[in-house]
Amino acid sequence: MTSSVIDASTTFQQAQEKGLIEAAKQGDKLAYRQLYESHVGRVYALCFRLTADKALAEDATQEVFIQLWRKLDNYSGQSKFSTWLHSVTSNVTVSYIRKQKGWWQKVFNIEDAGLHEDADAGSAGDIDLEAYILKLPERARMVFVLHAIEGFRHEEVASMLDMAVGSSKAQFHRAKQLLTEWMSDANENE
Amino acid sequence: MQTKMSEQRLQDALAALPSEKSPQRDLWRGIELALENPGQAKNDAPVSEVSKNKAPVWLASAASFALVATLGWFGLQEKAGSDLSIQSAALVESLSQQQQNQVNAMLVRFEGQDPASDNWQEQMKELDDAATAIKVALEEDPANGALLQMLQHVYQQQIALIERVHAPKWQQI
Repeated sequence: MTSSVIDASTTFQQAQEKGLIEAAKQGDKLAYRQLYESHVGRVYALCFRLTADKALAEDATQEVFIQLWRKLDNYSGQSKFSTWLHSVTSNVTVSYIRKQKGWWQKVFNIEDAGLHEDADAGSAGDIDLEAYILKLPERARMVFVLHAIEGFRHEEVASMLDMAVGSSKAQFHRAKQLLTEWMSDANENE
Repeated sequence: MQTKMSEQRLQDALAALPSEKSPQRDLWRGIELALENPGQAKNDAPVSEVSKNKAPVWLASAASFALVATLGWFGLQEKAGSDLSIQSAALVESLSQQQQNQVNAMLVRFEGQDPASDNWQEQMKELDDAATAIKVALEEDPANGALLQMLQHVYQQQIALIERVHAPKWQQI
């Protein structure tokens, strides 16, 4: 009984979302805003974890929804909308980071700072994985977020980040090693 | 054993990560603006519209003077209140127009001359993207003088880039 209610609710939500997507494809901005409201939380979370910077993540989120509006016609409905949206988000954010990094370095000659020492690592004893992820070096962080959190295969991650599959695996291993190390240290300090 | 435990703790922490986060500011306004003005960022006035006379050096000086004057004026107006965003938008528009005129004039001047670098247009594009990003930020925060200075800096870099890649060979040594 409960499961059939859940199924019905899911089916209803999917149908509703499908309607919103179709309306947005026809240029209905109100429908698009509803889609934005439903998905902005997940999109922003992914952008934030990829960029490790609130302001950049907010800008990247806007860029995602601006580009998504133009790409909506490409969504065929074969996969779940959220799956497709996450793939678009990852690609747009990665290229946004590249672009930002490119011109900031050109204009202000800023080098890659490596580890984010200023990330708030949470209080001792409290394992705040989110804060540790932000502390990871950029490439390791992006690979970890895309593979471990978003579930992309190493082949997909490598293609998104323009690196070899082996590098993606190595960066993932490095990220995992750093995270477990930091978590153990936090545990010892408890 | 220790490693297995650490990995398990990592897996547990991963599973507990929230799937959603809330941005601190309202992002929809900027998105809506961009959807309403899809061509705003494009600035592709053809070079041929500019007079093909010899490079007007006075234009560069006039533009620099105007930049300094308008930045000073902006500084004085910083606390002026509600119409600040309108003034800022006008100032940005004016700076961008002057920049476009100056770039066009320089491109006419160097027409037919081989550039020293193959990818200078790519570099120009990156600087254009930077200027666009700053202008978007200025729409959100019109009173931010630092952003305005950054915009000016990016424009100066574009001028310097065009000059550098088109300088006579003996000047590039």
